[in-house]
Amino acid sequence: MAYLNGKKGISGRNNLCWGNIIFSAMIIVFVSMLCLGNTVMAGEKLKGKDLYNKYCAPCHGEDGDGYGPLYGALYPKPRDFTKGQYKIRTNPSGSLPTDADLIHVISVGIHGTSMMPWDILDKDQITSLLPVLKSFSEAWQYREPEPSVVLGPELRSTQKTIARGRELYFQKECWKCHGETGEGDGPSSYDLEDEWGIPIQAYNFTRQDKFKGGATNKDIYLRFTTGVNGTPMPSFANELSDEDRWCMVHFVKSLATKTNKEDHAE
Amino acid sequence: MNYAKKLMLFVTMALLVIAIQFSGSVLAHDEKAEKEPYVPKFVDIYEGFPDWYSPVFKDNVGLSEGAGLFKDYYKPLKMQMYMSPMRHYEPMDILDHSLFIEKERRDLCIRCHDGINTGAVHDWKGSAHFNPRKTPLIARKTKIIEESIGREIINVDCFDCHADTEKNEIRMPHAEICSECHERQVRQFNSEKNHGRPNHIQAMEANVLVPWYPEADRRGWLAGNAGCDMCHGISTKCDPCHTRHSFSAAEARNPKACMTCHMGPDHPDAESYGESKHGMILEMEEESYNFDKPLAHVQVGEEYRTPTCQFCHMYQGGGTFTHNFVSKGIWRMGTVPPSNIEYKSSLKDYPYGINIIAPKIDVYSDENLDKRDKWVEVCSNCHSPRFAYTYLEQLDDYMFQAFGLTDQAQKIIDDLIAEDILYPSVAERDIYPFGDKVAELLPPELIGEGVYNAFKSLGGKVPVVGPILGVYAMFYQGENNPSVIETEYAKMWFWYKLQGYKGYAHAQQDIMWWWGQAPMFQQLGKIQSEGLRMRREHALEQRGGAQPVSHSSSGSSEGHAAPKKKSSGVPTGNVWEVDELNY
Repeated sequence: MAYLNGKKGISGRNNLCWGNIIFSAMIIVFVSMLCLGNTVMAGEKLKGKDLYNKYCAPCHGEDGDGYGPLYGALYPKPRDFTKGQYKIRTNPSGSLPTDADLIHVISVGIHGTSMMPWDILDKDQITSLLPVLKSFSEAWQYREPEPSVVLGPELRSTQKTIARGRELYFQKECWKCHGETGEGDGPSSYDLEDEWGIPIQAYNFTRQDKFKGGATNKDIYLRFTTGVNGTPMPSFANELSDEDRWCMVHFVKSLATKTNKEDHAE
Repeated sequence: MNYAKKLMLFVTMALLVIAIQFSGSVLAHDEKAEKEPYVPKFVDIYEGFPDWYSPVFKDNVGLSEGAGLFKDYYKPLKMQMYMSPMRHYEPMDILDHSLFIEKERRDLCIRCHDGINTGAVHDWKGSAHFNPRKTPLIARKTKIIEESIGREIINVDCFDCHADTEKNEIRMPHAEICSECHERQVRQFNSEKNHGRPNHIQAMEANVLVPWYPEADRRGWLAGNAGCDMCHGISTKCDPCHTRHSFSAAEARNPKACMTCHMGPDHPDAESYGESKHGMILEMEEESYNFDKPLAHVQVGEEYRTPTCQFCHMYQGGGTFTHNFVSKGIWRMGTVPPSNIEYKSSLKDYPYGINIIAPKIDVYSDENLDKRDKWVEVCSNCHSPRFAYTYLEQLDDYMFQAFGLTDQAQKIIDDLIAEDILYPSVAERDIYPFGDKVAELLPPELIGEGVYNAFKSLGGKVPVVGPILGVYAMFYQGENNPSVIETEYAKMWFWYKLQGYKGYAHAQQDIMWWWGQAPMFQQLGKIQSEGLRMRREHALEQRGGAQPVSHSSSGSSEGHAAPKKKSSGVPTGNVWEVDELNY
């Protein structure tokens, strides 16, 4: 193509030229010489890293910044691990997730997104990914994940609890984002952004099969209790009593007209 | 004691302050309780535009003068009252409507007009404006609007849109009027300016800020431009997609809403989409598409099996859709040359120091790569990202090669002009449209020193070829200007290149080739032959075989008659090379 002048690939971000290749080769040699002393440590870490690079990096990026080669095609966007912000947890708002939380999310996936359940990997493999994820954010050096919240006994779903949930839904102005009928079309739903500056949709409660953190009562209860870090969805642990949060769960579930229930709370 | 005194003083003061504040707030409250009259809040549709914009596009002048920088040089067509109501609407003078407005007789509007414009009244009666709680969705939207304007809406009737209660006159509603309630939509529409032309909000600017527009009026040809006004009238009107008087969002979500404007030889969007698999499947299965749903809530696959114009172009990334249609535009119209290839013709110097036309497009800039990612976000609703990237990458390749072909053609014409072989020569034919006024009206800051000097010293006898201003060849025919070779070239880059582009971008294989590349080849062939013919005749002439022929077909030497050849400061290069010449 005579007219092309330095045409880049469409992703355009890997512009390799000989200078770069030789330079990186020199660095690799240098670094590997430095690391020769502690090969055992490096070897151990490499186990999870290989797995990560093979199965996670295409979306989440080799550096865990959520900017893998498939980034452009995906919505919702792959999680950027560098901020230490995790949506699906069992512990209080703002906390790092527990190891069990991470294992849970990797094993069951995130509904409504391309994050599938990685039950195809065995448990050791999933566990080996944890240090890799943690290596992406400094947060893990300075903070400890808080312990999981204790679940009270689940309130039974009755007309009364649903009505109470409905009352709270309007009182707490949930409808402003999620809409009066839970379709995600409230007046504030148009301007929501997550911490990464990416527009974010208020959840449409009528689509039960796509609750990101799972659609069991316990899953939904946990979202109200722990909040969804990195998004405008706060925790209601302090504002609402345990019973009220269960009432909210029952009301939200009553909005789900599509019943494609997928239990995966454990 | 002292301490107690001080405390007393403090408490008294504090009480006093509280009392004052309280009385103040009570007063303020009482004032509010008197129920202030409702004052509509309109969004300035040209918010964020340069200062010169509103006085020449917004301030109403009726039909007495034009719009834009050439406003004093043409009189608008009468229908501009409706196409550009902010600027050109004049109140009707047959029947005085002020009485109905003064007495706010909304009922009489309907009574009378039901007998005149039964169709319009019927449309309105079927609309959400007539019944703002028609469906649960519309009721929810109405509630949001009511909260934002602080007023209950029973319905939106003729009076709300058409009655100017300050002047007691009938008005033609435009985007600012709509913004009273639909502020978000108008602000999103306004945001198109952030991406530059072409867009909807600056459509009228693009219509009348081209020199061939006042030239058409000067020569008595303006009525021919009515179609231009009709398409470009979208800049301040909200009814081209959701048409009056039903204003149905579902209608605007149907691709047919776009097709009256987005069709034809320079942008066959309707044809290329409509005849693609995307468009055909929609046509075959239209009843299964749900146009009642806002785009953000459409269940892809289930409710839209293939995408629509709106679904692709209103998408802003992150699952959101707005009234900004141009935020993902990379190749835009298909006319502005990319900076990623090397040119042999004067295209290498594009945009020639002219500040009012877009600079070359860097298809691989970070901004454009991000836009490409957003396109692939759309495509990935149904296709694999690999398929989508591969297809769009191929579109880039087509565009690079198409610009390569037009570059070859432009080189031929550039050379003819530079060697003074173009026949008749630029000095011996009519001016560039409005070329005698260009230097007077457009300062060097806008069009660049070189171009300005050329127009100033040559009074418009300036050769202009290729993107963007060379497109005059498609809109103007002075005496021998443009010549056949220039028109053929304009068709090559402004018709066939764009047809192939849209065919490619909208996945219509036949338009891609038979409306695109194949006719581009034919144009290149014509340009090559025409160039050779001129060179041959020039050579014969030089040998003394033939006398130069008078170029004025009318035989008259008045007006734009040709000065004698060598004596005239004849430009011997495309205007773009004027800098190198010594005037």
